[in-house]
Amino acid sequence: MKLKTILMAGAMSAVASAGAAECAFENEVPLRSLTAGFEAWKAVTDNMAECGNFEANLDQEFREKQPEAFAADPSLYHIGGVANSTMIPLLNAGTIRPLNDLVEEYGQHLSPNQLITVDGDIMAIAMMVNNQHLMYREDILNDLDLEVPTTYDEMLEAAAVIQEADVVEYPLGGTFASGWNLGEEFVNMFLAHGGDFVDDNNMPTINNEMGIASLEKLKAATQYMDPEYLAADSTYVQQQFQQGQIAMANLWASRAGAMDDPEESQVVGKVTMASAPMGPEAPVSSIWWDGIVIASNITDEEAEAAFRVAMEGIDTETVQESPEAAVWLIDGYEPGDLAAGAAATAANGARPYPASSAMGIMHSVLGNGIAPYLNGNKDAETTLADIEAAYMTSAEEAGLVE
Amino acid sequence: MKPKVFAAFVGPSIFMMLLFIAFPLVSVFWNSFVVTQPVYETVEVENCTAGFLEQTCTTEMETRPVLDESGEIRRQTEFVGFQTYQNVLEMGRFWEAVKDRSWTALQNIDFWKALRFTLMFTLVTLPLVLGVGLAIALVINNASQKIKGPVIFLSLLPFIITPVIGALSINWLFRGDGILTAFLEWWLEQDLALFAQAWTIELMMMFYRVWHVAPFAAIVFYAGLQTVNQDSLESAVIDGASRWQRLRLIVIPHLAPLLIFVAMIHLMDTYRVFEEVVGFRAEGYVISLQWLTYDFLTPDQAGNRSISRASASAMLTMIGIAILLVPLLKRTWRDHKGSH
Amino acid sequence: MTAKALRQPASLRIVSGAFLAFWCLIAAFPIAWIAVMSFKSPVDAFDSNPLNVIFGPATRADGSGWSILEIGLGLAVIWVTARLTVRRAPPLVASYSPGGYVALGWIVAAVLIGLGFVLVFFGLLPLVTDLLNPILGPLGRDIIGATTEHYQTVWIERGFIDNFRNSLIVTTGVVTISLTVGTLAGYGLARSGSTLAFWILIIALIFRSLPHSVLVAGYLPVFINSAEWLAPILGENAPTLYGKPAAVIAVLVAINQPFTIWMLRSFFANIPADLDEAARVDGCSHFKAFRLVIMPVMWPGVITTGLFSFLLAYNDFLVTSLLLDASNQTMVPAIAGMFNRETTTTDQVVAVAAAVSITAPLFLLVMVFQRQIVSGLTAGAVKG
Repeated sequence: MKLKTILMAGAMSAVASAGAAECAFENEVPLRSLTAGFEAWKAVTDNMAECGNFEANLDQEFREKQPEAFAADPSLYHIGGVANSTMIPLLNAGTIRPLNDLVEEYGQHLSPNQLITVDGDIMAIAMMVNNQHLMYREDILNDLDLEVPTTYDEMLEAAAVIQEADVVEYPLGGTFASGWNLGEEFVNMFLAHGGDFVDDNNMPTINNEMGIASLEKLKAATQYMDPEYLAADSTYVQQQFQQGQIAMANLWASRAGAMDDPEESQVVGKVTMASAPMGPEAPVSSIWWDGIVIASNITDEEAEAAFRVAMEGIDTETVQESPEAAVWLIDGYEPGDLAAGAAATAANGARPYPASSAMGIMHSVLGNGIAPYLNGNKDAETTLADIEAAYMTSAEEAGLVE
Repeated sequence: MKPKVFAAFVGPSIFMMLLFIAFPLVSVFWNSFVVTQPVYETVEVENCTAGFLEQTCTTEMETRPVLDESGEIRRQTEFVGFQTYQNVLEMGRFWEAVKDRSWTALQNIDFWKALRFTLMFTLVTLPLVLGVGLAIALVINNASQKIKGPVIFLSLLPFIITPVIGALSINWLFRGDGILTAFLEWWLEQDLALFAQAWTIELMMMFYRVWHVAPFAAIVFYAGLQTVNQDSLESAVIDGASRWQRLRLIVIPHLAPLLIFVAMIHLMDTYRVFEEVVGFRAEGYVISLQWLTYDFLTPDQAGNRSISRASASAMLTMIGIAILLVPLLKRTWRDHKGSH
Repeated sequence: MTAKALRQPASLRIVSGAFLAFWCLIAAFPIAWIAVMSFKSPVDAFDSNPLNVIFGPATRADGSGWSILEIGLGLAVIWVTARLTVRRAPPLVASYSPGGYVALGWIVAAVLIGLGFVLVFFGLLPLVTDLLNPILGPLGRDIIGATTEHYQTVWIERGFIDNFRNSLIVTTGVVTISLTVGTLAGYGLARSGSTLAFWILIIALIFRSLPHSVLVAGYLPVFINSAEWLAPILGENAPTLYGKPAAVIAVLVAINQPFTIWMLRSFFANIPADLDEAARVDGCSHFKAFRLVIMPVMWPGVITTGLFSFLLAYNDFLVTSLLLDASNQTMVPAIAGMFNRETTTTDQVVAVAAAVSITAPLFLLVMVFQRQIVSGLTAGAVKG
């Protein structure tokens, strides 16, 4: 590293931070936020910081820390970043406050879609959505005269043709890493079959034909994948795409931008976005959102300042600075080609991720329990029965079922 | 040494251990026998969530905890005896599997699957670490004075490297077409997927552990080699003892206390194997006891965690280590009695 | 013993030498390889062809690389630093540090060497090569593609320098307190033949076998709410322990105590008891005897034990990631934070650079202390 460049970089960043401080107001109240650490949050918290007196904590362990830290009195953080599932513990414990008054005063510009309401109370402001949808190598499909697959079965058929033609190492990619990722794959597939995971009494309802069909579909997909699929998270699948090793994947919308990044990708301009392939009932996908909550164990004055700062963070300026960081819900975002897949998936009726306390447990036990089926140690019925048994043990311990 | 003086010397250390280890240990012990859970109620709620273009609103029955007057979740604690241990051990399924003589069925129960791997991992790596460590120590001792310094330096590298970074390096070097996988493929002339079946992962995990710990054993043994009694070596040479006999009859007995020390540390650390499972993304194939504890403890997205089962499994891990250490402890006791 | 009797047959020497070389290769390879990766563009770094990783064609195509001259000078600087550290530093430290503060002297020396290296390597060297490269023709032409931009990203944009400072605070705290408390306890245990002493050691051993994740998860709620439950005792000023380096230091010291007292106890047990008993006969109290007689001779063992404490504190992930705020995080959890939901390939190479950055101080440390480790262990710190 040359000293000159260091100095230049230092000078540039000083200039940048001095020039870009465009916050509508001067924040006087010391504020702290706790959010996850990915790119969109970085963009948002950077913009919040322009208002002054603000400390952003982008933390990988936020899931573990948030419930505890917001329950402290006074809360250790004012602003929290949550997703639909991670909002549940805060909501349950009553440690985030209703935002109705604040939205009325400072949030008139928010679109109704951004207001996450529970029983009429606005509890969170969503800023982005994310879902898994089909990404495919347009050049390969064209060369082989393949239609863009619209259903999961068509996708598997296309994969078979691609494998036959031997143009890439593996026709399919998939975020099948054991744990949360694999659980999410099953959730998507089961939702696509029209299934519900638990009933009104929190009893599991996955050990049925839909469950078995979902498992079988997942297993059918794995034969077209890199045999190391149980270790493949979304970063890995994205890399496989970038290095031209796979032709199709049902991958997170937030990863779309990376396909056209000339720094990393060898397939710039070749990857096209489409709706998630359809299952029997709905697309094999689920819709997630990320957004902002405000703690309840803080003074009203702090809450007001926190909300105003948060609004600065999720304003049009952020979207213009980092349009590719996410599929924003914020005013001023123009969905380009890369967001087409996310939009089409939503239009085709993808269901929202059914976040709840019981679903939290279900997702974990699914994530841990499916691998033995995929690598052939258990049959589908046993797998689902074992998963339901594991669910019951956890749910009983958590007090969700008697 | 008078008890009062003794207390003054060891006091601060004991105090810190009591506060930060013993006290939490008591709560772990307690938690393994009770279950604390929120009191839930079921209510009908209308939720509106963000879609891409428009909101989705649904009305559904939802279970949520009851809050008390001060706004905190009302919890109830119930004594359940050994029920949590039962939940971890799943003895019913265990006996069934034993009755059927079905290894597969046994290996489908999390705890026994984890125990199988943990024990195997511990017992296979132990002799390897001692053996490789001793071999390295001997060859370093045998090397010329000039290169000893750099060689010791290089040898220590695997030991000092941060475990998290070690695990990351594995990913960088082995995953997919990682450089070492590419090398193995070239060498064996076949396509490899090292992360696609249990045995290759287990093999790599053991190799990694030996790579990581052998330097510690080596440096300890090397230090021990410096104090081997030269006189007895000399007389052995005069008596015509072969190199191998000298090693077996003089050097190894001299190193015995060190071998025990390293074995003890290694047993304790290896029985808690965890980083490797995460680093090698092995959860889909093999799990360890400490990973099981960690998994119970990690909250899912809705914030549920199984504190009770985590506590029970931690207690079981401790008991396991205690059993493994008994022979070594007996010896320490004899030494202790002998030296005073 | 006569040299002749000890001389080994050639075959044995060859086998022994070959094994040593093989081991050194295995030991050093992963670290050396990730060091190479950290200087390449993402495309080169994860290439499956090793030659591409080493020579970095894509990186060179981007216009950054090193010439023979630069490589030569760079290696020279590294070599000189290593020599200085191993050969010249020990006598200098020994002569300049006041008695009893040798450890402090070593820390100062390590920091100075580190700083000097960074200044020369990253500051002076580029200036020199910029001047010389155009003059030297083929020697000055880039032959290997390499870029330091990832280090720039890590240290400047990602603010790794703050994490480095936090790591420094935590490790210094842990090593100092751990050794102070542990030395006293180790001495006490070594000189007491009571059954109580034995059981303390055994219980400490059992404590050591506790899975840390369980302990740490127990701390979190207590530390976060400490302002509430400490209020009756400390009143208004009751601190929130969560996010405080001091709290993390205390936890790490406690977790490390069992190992520390075992090490130090066996070290002290090997110092003849006659030494301090003689002092006691002269009328010294136990503490005075400890200070006057034992302290001067205990450094080899203490330095070795201190090094293990250092490694534990520096390498810790579990405690620091959970009990520290993102704003005062140490380096190891910070690197884990680089792997998140949206990790890109570039992020990964940045993480590689961060990994090398974390390892570099350990390098320096082992280089400085390797003699002390061996002599400390030899002096008996590990005799069961």
